[in-house]
Amino acid sequence: MQHNIPVESLGPMGEAMGQAVSKCVHCGFCLPACPTYNLLGEEMDSPRGRIILMKSVLEGDLELEDALIYIDRCLGCLGCVTACPSGVPYGELLTPFRAMAQEKRQRPFTDRAARSLMLNTIPQPERFRLAARAGKLARPLQGIMPERFRAMMGLLPVSLEARQALPEITPAVGERRARVALLAGCVQQVVSPGINRATLRVLAKNGVEVVIPPGQGCCGALAMHTGELGLARVQGRRNLEAFPADVDAILTNAAGCGSGMKEYKLIFKGTELEEAAHGFAGKVKDVSAFLDELGPVEPHAIEGGLRLAYHDACHLAHAQGVTTAPRRLLSMIPNLELLPIPEGELCCGSAGTYNIEQPELARQLGERKAQHILSTEAQAVATGNIGCMVQLRNHLTVLEQAIPVWHTMEVLDRAYNGRE
Amino acid sequence: MNASIIDASAIEELQEAIRTRTCIQPYGAGSKTALAVADGQCTRISAAGLSGVVEYVPSEYTFTALAGTPAAEIERMLIENRQYLPFDPPLAREGATLGGTVAAGLNGPGRYRYGGLRDSLLGVQFIDGRGSLVRSGSRVVKNAAGFDLPKFMVGSLGGYGFLVELTFKVMPMPAAYTTLRARYPDIETGHAALVRLTRQPFEIYALELSVQEGLVELLVRLGGATGTLAARKERVGAVLGGARPEVLAGEQESALWADLRDFHWLPVGHNLVKIPLTPKRVLPLEAELAAINAPRVYSAGANLAWVALPGEIDGSDAIAAILVKLGLGGLVVLGEAGKRRIGARNGETFAQRVKQALDPDGKFVEF
Amino acid sequence: MDYAAFQSELHRIYPPDRLLTKDAQLAPYESDALTSFRSRPKAVVIAADQQDVIETVRLCHRSGVPFVARGSGTSLSGGSLPVESGIVVAMNRLNHILLIDPDERIAAVEAGTVNLDISRAAAPYGLYYAPDPSSQPVCTIGGNLAFNAGGAHCLKYGMTSNHVLGIKAVLPDGEVVQLGGDSLEAVGPDLVGLFVGSEGLFGIALEVTVRLLPKPEAFKTVLAAYHSLEHAGQTVAEIVGGGLLPGAIEIMDNLAIQAAEAAVAAGYPQDAEALLIVEMDGEAATVEADFERVMAIIQASQAYQVRTARDDADRMLIWKGRKSAFSAVGRLSPDYIVQDGVVPRGRLAEALAEIQQLGEEYDTRVANVFHAGDGNLHPLILFDGRQEGALERAEQLAGRILEMCVRFGGSITGEHGIGVEKRKYLPLMYGEADLDVMQAIHTQIDLQGISNRGKMFPGS
Repeated sequence: MQHNIPVESLGPMGEAMGQAVSKCVHCGFCLPACPTYNLLGEEMDSPRGRIILMKSVLEGDLELEDALIYIDRCLGCLGCVTACPSGVPYGELLTPFRAMAQEKRQRPFTDRAARSLMLNTIPQPERFRLAARAGKLARPLQGIMPERFRAMMGLLPVSLEARQALPEITPAVGERRARVALLAGCVQQVVSPGINRATLRVLAKNGVEVVIPPGQGCCGALAMHTGELGLARVQGRRNLEAFPADVDAILTNAAGCGSGMKEYKLIFKGTELEEAAHGFAGKVKDVSAFLDELGPVEPHAIEGGLRLAYHDACHLAHAQGVTTAPRRLLSMIPNLELLPIPEGELCCGSAGTYNIEQPELARQLGERKAQHILSTEAQAVATGNIGCMVQLRNHLTVLEQAIPVWHTMEVLDRAYNGRE
Repeated sequence: MNASIIDASAIEELQEAIRTRTCIQPYGAGSKTALAVADGQCTRISAAGLSGVVEYVPSEYTFTALAGTPAAEIERMLIENRQYLPFDPPLAREGATLGGTVAAGLNGPGRYRYGGLRDSLLGVQFIDGRGSLVRSGSRVVKNAAGFDLPKFMVGSLGGYGFLVELTFKVMPMPAAYTTLRARYPDIETGHAALVRLTRQPFEIYALELSVQEGLVELLVRLGGATGTLAARKERVGAVLGGARPEVLAGEQESALWADLRDFHWLPVGHNLVKIPLTPKRVLPLEAELAAINAPRVYSAGANLAWVALPGEIDGSDAIAAILVKLGLGGLVVLGEAGKRRIGARNGETFAQRVKQALDPDGKFVEF
Repeated sequence: MDYAAFQSELHRIYPPDRLLTKDAQLAPYESDALTSFRSRPKAVVIAADQQDVIETVRLCHRSGVPFVARGSGTSLSGGSLPVESGIVVAMNRLNHILLIDPDERIAAVEAGTVNLDISRAAAPYGLYYAPDPSSQPVCTIGGNLAFNAGGAHCLKYGMTSNHVLGIKAVLPDGEVVQLGGDSLEAVGPDLVGLFVGSEGLFGIALEVTVRLLPKPEAFKTVLAAYHSLEHAGQTVAEIVGGGLLPGAIEIMDNLAIQAAEAAVAAGYPQDAEALLIVEMDGEAATVEADFERVMAIIQASQAYQVRTARDDADRMLIWKGRKSAFSAVGRLSPDYIVQDGVVPRGRLAEALAEIQQLGEEYDTRVANVFHAGDGNLHPLILFDGRQEGALERAEQLAGRILEMCVRFGGSITGEHGIGVEKRKYLPLMYGEADLDVMQAIHTQIDLQGISNRGKMFPGS
């Protein structure tokens, strides 16, 4: 599609934005892949509609404030990228656009307070832990809080496990086949610390030595996708410095973090860290993709067998194109029946901070997803992202059919080592 | 023969004739006897002079011919290249012309495989009520330019224009045919077998359910590569249920279908009424027909009933009342009809708007 | 009635969230899938049910305000381009499947239903809806009907009009009519046949009854790579000339192959000058027998690489590549025009040679994807709209290709319709008397010309 975006004046990410618009041919193949278009059925809430809106704003034909309501409703799930035959890198338009918008927009006070709370709390395990405790105490007050805060409360776990430090180095069991560094994640450490422990055991079992660099911090994805580019860069820089170069790969077990770290390429474009970011991003891999490539050790059968639905996390499937690896890994478990979820390519509504920023749409998507999962009559559901796990648990609970929600690594761990 | 038949061979003469007359009734070979009955005040204009093939390129699967060309002549031409008219023109042996078949909108049993006239008519040229020679559609198998008047002309009964030239899509003829004939104790079991068959992915060329003198028969025609027929026949037989079906092949088989297509089963002195319907409406219609002794054949997988009725049909008969009650429409095709279209109709106001455009002075007789 | 009065009447029909009038709400509706044409409507209304549509049309009729019905906006001929002085009626929420009757083999759906959703709903009964335009997962049945959409399977199965049995529509003056019914047979002129393909000029379809077919029992799909388009074209002629009737026969040229392969990774040979896809479908025994004959012809042809689909997933991927080809060309060029001309099958090779020559003459790249079985060409004319005169050159080239199609005895559109894009070429195909009659019908049905104004007729 033609455009008159003044790419030169938009900074280092301007060219990427222009190219994304240029590749879009407005064919509409993205429409059925877009969660908000599915719910709202309006062009403004579709990927190609948002491209038009961003293009119009960038060209100066439309006020930013007028377009933002529709841009804000985008989950950033990148389902459209998978569906797009023209290869539009939608994320490369959206992320810089949100950053640009963030500098200019006016948000109401409660929104600002919520965002600030969120962005300053979630990425720091200790703070999140405190907040989670406080949240538990505040639970009875939920009814009188503004909707945003209420949505945040809903994400908090009802009970918290005691803090348990992760080892800086986990040696391989048997012959060492690879050495990797692992991002421990923020929310996950507090809400589901078992995922990291399972990941370490599975990797070790497969002959992988794992380093957890102590200086690491939040990946920056939340900040990046909410347009807080400055904060994202600060967080990203910290990781660029903290992670060692002498590892075979930098692994994450949270899809959102994985895709966020792959985006370092984009956010450090034109800065002195551009090259370092390139090298770093090139090493980032989801643990499932890494293990699949490595060739995993045969797992044992799970006691009693398991009918398991696999949920594609958007930031794994759409943002990183990882769909077959986790399925292949799970299918190696002899008595595990892997079930496809209808409408599987559609987002569950978690999408980073989405269920805090757009609680109503997130709720509809979450419920829809939970119903599709239940339609498979699975005994449990597996996925590769903590955000999805929280969202699925909440909505399965609302439907009063709280089947277990596990991380792919937790299922594998169980097959290798029995119950934790 | 009516004295006012004009036999015009030149198109310009036809145009002139249409311009100068106030009431016109296009006429082909008269094989659809009820539709060919002259309207007293009108001039019947014959298309007999408009006969001949304009273009036939076998590898394109298309041909163009003048409207007065006998369908049988076309079939003879096509078979040379192992092709056939997928709509299977009825009454071809009675001289049915291409134009008459289109105007009457009649398909034979073979339409079950690849569709009827509306699916194979690609282009038309006709003279409208103002005497203009108009072309619509095209000569290629795929075209989406302009309004689809070729389709509109199917079943138009000569009420909107005088057909001059027609382009059709044709289909390759299967190497061989075979037919199964199964008998059933009653219509319910025969009908159930038909519905079962229509749900199967079998390549059936014709599927007819005949109800005559208490005899219920299902006729299934299969076509294709010779080597495939034996096994496919068995599969169909398994779905048919009931007693082991009779298998027909060769000349006996082709004669059976030719006779069905030309309504040889129609008792002497009977009218033939075409009633479009769907499988679901067969049993309700059967219940209504129980009181009348009317031999009938459900054609094209029960998308159509051919019903034979004695006496003149004037629109106030039992059959008309039955059709209205069931929400069905009918067309009297053969016989000495007083009224041709009976029963329910829809879309009349839409049709009238088109009539206003094509024939503002109302020259062409409408039924 | 002036527009302000009209708008206040609109407010009585639509709550604020379904009456879009702000710039940010209208901008995304300016184009369909043909972005060279843009036009901002005064308003977009999101109809929630049939009554909304009927009342809107009646209001437009009383006020003389033009309206454009829009489904998913996937037209490649600008078929749902808005009118500046008018409104857009978004039909997406009229997407209810009202009936699937497996014994009658029919489905009744609202006009905003997505094409593929019909087949999905029919699948449990072993049935499907045959017409499969490439935008099948997106496009709506209402748009398919208005433009008589085709697809890869037309030679054997026909176009949209061959599968629509009944239509409930609101005419431009607000009259609601029922045309046809649910039988394959009818008495009286074929009104459904006339309505289908009328490009929205006859009003808005509300409900459509379509026929369903039993899903073919077996499919056999083969890919054959050639060093020249001509050889691929010859093979098509031999297959069809041999009395074989494939479910689909498609050809893609090198540019299209590369774009589609980049989009889908279907395993297309990227060095091929022409890729032929032939698919036989039907009853297992017949498919087996016919496919053997097809393979014998292909083996004897100039194909340098032949591959048959391994399984259903592979087959779907082969088709996904083909169906993504148009949009995938977005990878090669920021802008393109898709043409949709038809030539007699026997003149395919000649036509392709001429297109190539024209591309050179206009110094413009042309990618080719076509339904070879029915001679339906889809030259994709690539250009960069920011270059001075590029759009004009591309349009001239497109015009020359259409002239060629007519000269060869074909059509200027096989399945995309005239829309706004090919209006001026309609007189290439039809004479004055032919156009007069079409105009007369249009006038009788829409005296004010408010329904999808600006489509089909030259200068309209």
